[in-house]
Formats: sequence, C-alpha cells, structure tokens
Amino acid sequence: MKTKWSLRVLAMGVVLAVAALAWNAPVGAQGGGTISGEVKISGTPPPPKTIAVNKDVEVCGKEKKLVDVAVGPGNGLGDAVVSVTDAKGAKPSKKASLDQKGCEFHPDVLIMAPGELDILNSDGVLHNIHTFSTVNPPFNKAQPKFKKVMTEKLDKPEVVKVQCDAHSWMHGWIVVTENPAALTDDKGTFKLENVPPGKHKVEVWHPVLGKQAKDVEVKAGQEVKVSFELAAKK
Amino acid sequence: MAQPRGKFLQAVLVVVVAYLIFRYAIQPPMPFSVLSLYLFITVVAVLLYVSSDSDSWRAFLGPLWRTLAAPDRHVFRLVLGVAIPVLIGYYAYSQAAAPVEAPVELRAVHPAPPDTITFRGKEIHLQDPATPVRKDIAQNPANAAKHLAAGGATYIRNCMYCHGDNLDGHGHFAFAFNPQPADFAGPNTIAQLSEGYVFWRIAKGGPGLPRESTPWNSAMPSWEERLTEEQIWEVIYYLYETTGHPPRVMTEGHAARSTPTPRGPRASWLAEALTGLGPGAVLAQPAGDLALGKRVYDSHCALCHGADGKGDGPAAELLLPKPRDFTAGKFKIRTTVQLPSDQDLFNVITAGMPGTSMPAWKVLPERDRTALVAYVKTFGPAFKDAKIEAAKIPSEVKSSAASIKRGQEMFEAIECNKCHGQKGRGDPAPGSDLKDDWGNPIRPANLTKPWTFRGGPTPRDVATRLSTGLLGSPMPTFLDSVEKPEDIWHLANYVRSLGPDSPMWASILQVVSVTGEVPSDPNAEFWTRRPGANFPLVGQVIADPRNFNPTVDMVTVRAVYTDREVVFHVTWDDPTPSDPSKGAPKPDRVALQFPTDAGTGVRPYFLMGDANGPVYLLTWQAGQGVGEATATGVGKLAPKTAEVAASGQAVYDAGQYRAVIRRPLTPAASSDFAFRPGEFFPVAFWAWDGSEGDDGPKASVSTWYYARLEPPASKRKFVVPPVAALLAGVVEVGLARWARRRRPDGDENRSS
Repeated sequence: MKTKWSLRVLAMGVVLAVAALAWNAPVGAQGGGTISGEVKISGTPPPPKTIAVNKDVEVCGKEKKLVDVAVGPGNGLGDAVVSVTDAKGAKPSKKASLDQKGCEFHPDVLIMAPGELDILNSDGVLHNIHTFSTVNPPFNKAQPKFKKVMTEKLDKPEVVKVQCDAHSWMHGWIVVTENPAALTDDKGTFKLENVPPGKHKVEVWHPVLGKQAKDVEVKAGQEVKVSFELAAKK
Repeated sequence: MAQPRGKFLQAVLVVVVAYLIFRYAIQPPMPFSVLSLYLFITVVAVLLYVSSDSDSWRAFLGPLWRTLAAPDRHVFRLVLGVAIPVLIGYYAYSQAAAPVEAPVELRAVHPAPPDTITFRGKEIHLQDPATPVRKDIAQNPANAAKHLAAGGATYIRNCMYCHGDNLDGHGHFAFAFNPQPADFAGPNTIAQLSEGYVFWRIAKGGPGLPRESTPWNSAMPSWEERLTEEQIWEVIYYLYETTGHPPRVMTEGHAARSTPTPRGPRASWLAEALTGLGPGAVLAQPAGDLALGKRVYDSHCALCHGADGKGDGPAAELLLPKPRDFTAGKFKIRTTVQLPSDQDLFNVITAGMPGTSMPAWKVLPERDRTALVAYVKTFGPAFKDAKIEAAKIPSEVKSSAASIKRGQEMFEAIECNKCHGQKGRGDPAPGSDLKDDWGNPIRPANLTKPWTFRGGPTPRDVATRLSTGLLGSPMPTFLDSVEKPEDIWHLANYVRSLGPDSPMWASILQVVSVTGEVPSDPNAEFWTRRPGANFPLVGQVIADPRNFNPTVDMVTVRAVYTDREVVFHVTWDDPTPSDPSKGAPKPDRVALQFPTDAGTGVRPYFLMGDANGPVYLLTWQAGQGVGEATATGVGKLAPKTAEVAASGQAVYDAGQYRAVIRRPLTPAASSDFAFRPGEFFPVAFWAWDGSEGDDGPKASVSTWYYARLEPPASKRKFVVPPVAALLAGVVEVGLARWARRRRPDGDENRSS
C-alpha cells in the first residue's frame, strides 16, 4: 500500500492538513469539544511485502515495500480513519488533492469532503486513476506525463478504492465524508476538534482491518479520550 | 427472310442468352463442366438450325466472309487481328499464373450409423425410439427443466466453442475449422437425424467415423472420454428443444415421435409474423418488452451471463475475458461518458465482441434484441433514473501520412506501449499484472490485429474507445488526456496503420523453390521480403488440460526448399517470452505437424494423430532450440533424442517470435516425414505460451492444411501466352488469305 519511509511525513502531513483545512472554522457557534485518542492493533499484522519494480524505475525506484497494515511504536495503527458518524464536519476551505509521486498515492488514504478533487501527477510518467466507486460514478482516466493536474468530482459520501493499472502495486483510498474525520498518525493517535457537544458515535475504519464503533459524549471546550483496538486478521 | 447479317446476329444472341440463363437464372449455380456441356449443346443446335438449308447457311456465313475478305472491312480486320491474339494471350497467362489451390475433397454428409455402440463398456442401442432422458421426462414431466438446464450447461462448457451459443456452428473457434462445425439450427443436421444417431456422433466423434468415404477431416472429438451417457442424452435433449427441431424417429410408426414446443429464434420470428409485428413495429416500442427480454435472456444469455446477470453462468469460469456482470453498471463498449446508451447496448448485442466468446446476435429478431437491452438494464441499480451523457468525440480527422505520424508521437507521449507494447502487439511491460474490476486477469488488445478489436475495427470505433475508455478494464479514457482533442483521431489512425484490415487466412502453404544458401537468421531480408501465409489457431479444448483462452491465435508461415532441404519461417505473437533457461517455469514452443504416412489419403486426427495414424513434428522450444518428435495423440509426444536432423533458431522482439526451422528433404528415419516436391501434403500448427502455463495438451492448434513443395518457378507463364497469341495471329492471317482467294458469293447475297 505504501512505503515505510514515507509513512511518517505523510501521516503527519495529512493530520496537519486535515486539521488545518477542515476544522479551521468551528462547527457550533458556541464551540465544540475535542475527541482524541489512539488506535492500536492486537495480534500479528501481516508482514510487508517487497516487490521488484521493472518499469519506470527512474521514478518508481527498483523495489516497493507494500505495507498493508502500518504498525508504529506501541502497536499504534497508522492510516486508520476515525470519524464521528452522526455529526457534520465543517466545509473545507480548499480543494482536496491527491498526488502521484514515486509511483505511490500521496496520501495513500485521503479524507475529503464531497466535492472536487485535484489529482496531480508529479512523476512525469503515465498513470491512470481508476476508481472503484459505486455511489459516485466510477472512472478510469489516463494521466499522461504532460497532464500535471486533473480535476474530478466525488459528490457523494463513500469510501472509494483507487488504483493505477499501469503500476499494479499502486493502491489508495479516498474517504469521501461529510463527517468530522481524521487519520491516525504512525503512532496510532488522532485528534478530532470542534465536535458539537452531545452523545456521538465514533467509528474507526481501516482498509484491511475493518471497522469498530464506540459511543462518546462530547462536552464543549473539553477533550474526551477514546481508544480502539482492531484485531489483525489471520 | 431475315437480313443476312441478322441471321448471324440472331445466332450469337441465342447463344449469349442461353449462357446468361444457365449461368445466372438457374439456382443453385451449376458446376462449370455442366455449364460447358449445356452451352455446347446450344451451339450445336444453333448451327443445325442455321444450316438447315443453303440460303440460311449462306446468310449466316455472310458476315463472317465479309469480315474475312471484303476490302472495305480492312480496318475492322486489323482491330480483330490484334484483339483476338491479345485476348488469347491473356487467357493463357491467367491460366498459367493461377494461384495454387488445395485439392478438392468430396465427402458424404451422413454416414450410416451402426445399430449398437459400446459406450464405456455398456452396449447402447441407437435405434431406441426414446432416450433415457425422454423416458424420464415422460414419467416425471417436472424433470424436463432440470434436464434442459443440465444439457445447456454441458453444451456451453464443451460444445459452444465450435458450435456456437446460437447452435449455428459459428462458435468463436469455428473460423479455424474446415469443414465448419455442424449447424444444429439449420435444416441439414440434427433435423434429419435421430437422437441415437446424434449420440453416436457425439460419443465417437471424428475418430469413430467409418473408414469408407474418407477423408472426413472431422475435428469432432470422441466425447466418450469426457462426458457421461446421461450428459450426452441431456445435451441432445437441449439441442432439439432449443432449436425446435423434432428428432427423427427410426421406427415405422409415427406415434413415438416427440413434438417439443418450438422456441428460440425460429419461434420468435414466427411469433413476430403471426402477430403482425414486423420490424417496423419495433420502433413503436422503444422501451423494449421486459417479459420478452427475460425470455430471450434466459434462453440465450444466461448460460454465460448468469440467471441474475452477475456474469456467473455455468460457462463463465472457463471464459476470458469473463462474461459481463450486468449488476455493476460498468460497460466496455460505449459512446457515452458513463452508462451506455440503449443504442450502444443494442449494437454490442447485434455485432458481438470480436476476439471474445460474445457472438453477434444479429440472428435474433430486432424486437428480441431491443427487449434484451431493456431487460439487461434491470439487473443493477445503475440505470435507475440515470442520465445518459454522450461522450464528446472530436470531429473526425481522415487518415494521412501526417496524421499517422502525429498519432505515433502521441502513442509514445501517452505511453500506450505500457500495456499494448512498443509495436502494439499486446505485450505489456514486464511485471504488469493487469486485472479487470472483478480481479480477473485481462489481456491488452493486440493492436496489429484489428479484427479482434472488441468494439470494432474502424478508425471511428478506435477513436471512440480511446475517448471513453473501456469501463471495468484497465483501459482508461484519454479524451481529456491528449494534448489536443484531434490527437484522438491521429492516435486512432496510427493504431489502424499497425495492422491489416483482415488476416486473409491462407488455405494452402506454398513451399517455394529457391537456390543457394537459405539464411537461418529469422530477421534476414530473405524472409522479410517474402509474403507470409496466415493460419488461425484456436485453443485445444478436448484433452486435459484444456486451453479455453489461447494466447496464440495465429501463425504466419513462410517456407522455401532447395535441392537438399526444406526451411520453414514461423512468426507468432506472444506477449511474454518464457524461457526455462532464464528461470521461467514453462517454455514457449511452436511445432509443425505432418502425418507420418503421407500419401495414403487419410489424415491422422488433427490433435497429434492417434494409434492408427501417428504424426511427425518439427519443433522449436525456448531454451532448447529446434527438434523433431513423433506423436500418437495429444499429450503422447515423443521427442526424438538421436539423429536430430532438423536445425534452426528463433528470435523474440517486442511481443513476437520469429523462428527458422530447417530439415533435409530426405528423412533420417522411417517415422520421419519425407518431403517430396510436387505432392500435396497435410500440415498443421501448434503453439504453446509458457507464461500462460501452456504445456502438453494445453496449447493452441490449427486444423490440417495442405502444403506443397512447388515446382521451380517456371518461365511457362511468360512463354506460353506470347506463343499462343502468335499462333492465333498466324491462323487469322491464313484464314483471311484463304477467304479472299475463295471469294465465295458472300457479297452477292445482299438480294437474297
């Protein structure tokens, strides 16, 4: 799913970006509370696979380490999406964007509000964006080297798998959601700010390990902790 | 009395009219020999008539005499004097330079069946009026549907490849067979036969045909080894039920004759005629009749696409590409952005998808196809309240050298080669793991074979596929991803320039006589300048492991011989080289197959012969090179270990193998084939794609073709025509002189 070296920068970047972009405007006028916590994994995660790359090696590198389940220190689970499923998130101030760089999707799990998405090709080789959506119309668009940016629409909330057929290892996820949502960092921690006060359902989703939900009560101006543990599949 | 000139004209006119009647008015057309005989009789009759009395004869001859002798006719004489020798010379040339044709084989259509056969050790009486399946249905009518479904499943997994989804002998492998697979829907096969007879033909196949009236050249296998007795009876039940033909019953009484309800295309057509709904009525119901659609779907589509449209019918697991899953709302062949228009669906149903197992359903009445469109759209939620948006295909740019050049630049810029290969031969970059949206492996199109393009071969078809992509497959849309919109057309024109319109399948392999050294380098100009003969290959689907989705679908063969050796040059496309000496698990291979006993007139069974008719093979194998082998059946190949006289080499380049295989004319052993100049001999071709797991019986194969070591290119066609023309001229001059000396009373005839 992605390489280890990029994990740290990536996850941090996404968390910061999400926090900075999506929640800079408070939801309720009187201010919300914060949900923070961590997601851990129990059991033995599948080991990363390394595959040899034999095309576009100049930009893709000679091999790819495919990490389906990113486990950090203390069994923290990276790249999991935590969302409040019964609250509305703030309107984003900026268009979401998904980059293809080094023949990987950056970020490999993208959280975006329904709307437009900029797809970048930083590699200068042919990629194709092939989505497996069912609620939104699926598309498969070529992005040759000279086509640096394409804009596509994902109007409806849905978890969309995306792949590049030209580079069979390139897989990613686009989580289109109207809810407040955040991605866990490499230690498995997350923070959801400006959640409206009240009882909420909080859900964690991971592409491989599945879902888990918990009930949480949020109070204005306070931080509530919640933690999840997803079991590694046999 | 008629005008003198009139008499001659009349005679000529009668002969011409008689010819036209014999040639065009009588159907079916008569053979040339019969036609010549009739014309000869006509000419004799006319001559008899005009010579019945001397006046008439003179009137008839008048124009001839005048043409030959009259002084005022010398210009006309000169024109004739040149034209007739030229025509004779041309005729002589066309005869001398005519292309070689394979010898004609006549055969009986329906051999006499035996009374009983032994099937897996059990005696079966072919004359029994009721089959076990029909007996069971007579007792439990509820079992009819079960037997019909089981028969259909067996048919679609075993018989459909050759005999076709529509039971008309046009399966997607049928094009490679000669004679063509039997057409069950037509009036000449099962409609004339009893069920027992059909059982015999299925159980024993081509190898079980009687020796008289050979050669049969039947590719029909003996299904006894694969199907149970009940499965065969069920298939037979399915054949008669689906075509609507009643089986013939061999007993005297007609009481036992079963009368199945007619259904299928014939029945629908009949219904259309009876209800007065001609094709015009179709326009009146654009929505399509869902109930009719379901009926047609269940009987014609469900065996592949599944009863619920999930693409999971009994045949699906054997097919590649897989039958479409209609529930997903993803369609490949469209002129639209997302969901296909009704017209798109109608066109795909009508024209089928070349290169796949989806046949052209134009055999169904238009009303049925319209109903199918409506029904297919009900399987998934996608079409509900959907907006169909036409793709904005840029306006057409006609093909030209400049357009093709720009197309090639774009082809490289947008990296079509990543999947389709540098030369478009469908060879993706190594390590590509192309899958469709359902996770099934999928092969990129071989752009040099436009006759296999799923959505059609025209530049507009190609431009449309490039614009819309093929949803559900890795092929993306390029409409917004070229530099300028018209580049779509430049690309389409370039793609179409990569291959010929048609493979022009050969019917015979001519081995040309040459002198001097024949190069072993497959890329030598000696080979590339020679025209190749294309032969179709299909999967071997009879012996296990079967090859339902062959990679190699064609070989191009060039062949020459000298006074010492015969040399074959074989070209075939294979997307991935597979060489065990470089770590691949299975080798790529190719083989040329000859009968061990040529000249007996009986060809061995085309799948490497059998115990009674062994074959001899010249082979090339990656990592091993050229070899020789003998075989007594598919999978019973014995490579020759000692005294291998054959040699040669192969090269692989951008998705294509080229191999040179040479062997001395005279055989080293009695089991080897002897190449004798001037004689027709059978040849068949095999190919294995190692990277697809081809090995042993899992291979691509052709049926038998004829080959001949042609006599040295004689100067005959340059010598005979001038000589013939010269002779004709001399005869003319002689005739004219003789006529002028005779000066009969031709000119005096005017008054008579």
